[in-house]
Amino acid sequence: MRAVAEPETFLLVASGAATGFVGALLGLGGGVFLVPLLALALHLPIRTAIGASLVSVIATASASATVNLNRGLVNMRLGLVLEVATSLGGLGGGVLASLLSQRQLFLVFGSTLLAMGLLVALRSGRRNVIADSDAEPGLLGGRLQEGERTYVYHVKRLPLGLGASLAAGAISGLLGVGGGIVKVPALNTFCGIPIRVAAATSAFMIGVTAAASAFIYLQRGDISPAVSAAVALGALPAGLLGARLSERFQARSLKILMAVVLLAVGVRMGLEGL
Amino acid sequence: MKAPGDLARTIEIVLMSGLVSSAGLLLAGLASGSAAPLQWGILLLLLTPVARVVVLTVGLLHERDWLFGGLSLLILGVLGASMLAGAKLP
Repeated sequence: MRAVAEPETFLLVASGAATGFVGALLGLGGGVFLVPLLALALHLPIRTAIGASLVSVIATASASATVNLNRGLVNMRLGLVLEVATSLGGLGGGVLASLLSQRQLFLVFGSTLLAMGLLVALRSGRRNVIADSDAEPGLLGGRLQEGERTYVYHVKRLPLGLGASLAAGAISGLLGVGGGIVKVPALNTFCGIPIRVAAATSAFMIGVTAAASAFIYLQRGDISPAVSAAVALGALPAGLLGARLSERFQARSLKILMAVVLLAVGVRMGLEGL
Repeated sequence: MKAPGDLARTIEIVLMSGLVSSAGLLLAGLASGSAAPLQWGILLLLLTPVARVVVLTVGLLHERDWLFGGLSLLILGVLGASMLAGAKLP
């Protein structure tokens, strides 16, 4: 309980708030920023950083989900199908970890993010929606209300989406993140899901993905109560705020922000592996 | 999921209740410096997404949406497995 009296409680709350805000804006949990921030900038042991990050991801993702459900942005059917792949990926993450070295993992992760970042940047001007509001969305597709207009979208290349969710789950189990950084761009660029729906549906899923990993960390004593509490208390209101504000951003701005984040994190992760 | 509105609303309430009550416990724990509210707050936060899956599963099965209800049940199983796996690990 010493951490309560330590001066960094404020820094922990601020870290949780900053990553929770950006995370909720983009439909991520923010863990992909929070783990390096806690481990490298605040010098917490990596396991403590991952444990606190998982707790924070749950807070951010659940907060976003309440806002997004209210707006009708979450595609629950699609989320359910992908969640099966993600949770299996989470279980399989351990197997994958034993096959690859830490360095190889960072290199694979870093280069994947860089490739996704380039793809999102190149396609940032494209819309995934059909303006005809009477079009049939299909079993997994849906409708999206934007201002006065209703758009329809279809789910394309579902196997790619399933594969990305499986990979996201595995990464989540390995690195203590929710995996949104893989799912959101994959759903948007490969499966044709509008960025807002991709973000909302991903945030809807990652609470569950992070919870699955967090229980393991909790039972092994790797979740520091004081650190996790401070980070989560920052992430929660920031997540609510980020999710609310994302409505004010244009889809194109969200995609550009996403591309920048992917490229930056990709370089950061890749360097770690070199 | 013929009437996703009602189910979405219920899930929203479940998530918000979990978040508000765990935040209250975490705040109380940090302010008083005592361990018990912190631990309960974190446990409650971790259980919030699980409660969401339970509510969605029950809702879907109640609506006789067997395909998606079954998928949701499968996810609940994986979550349960991860809880058990955590307990079994050395």
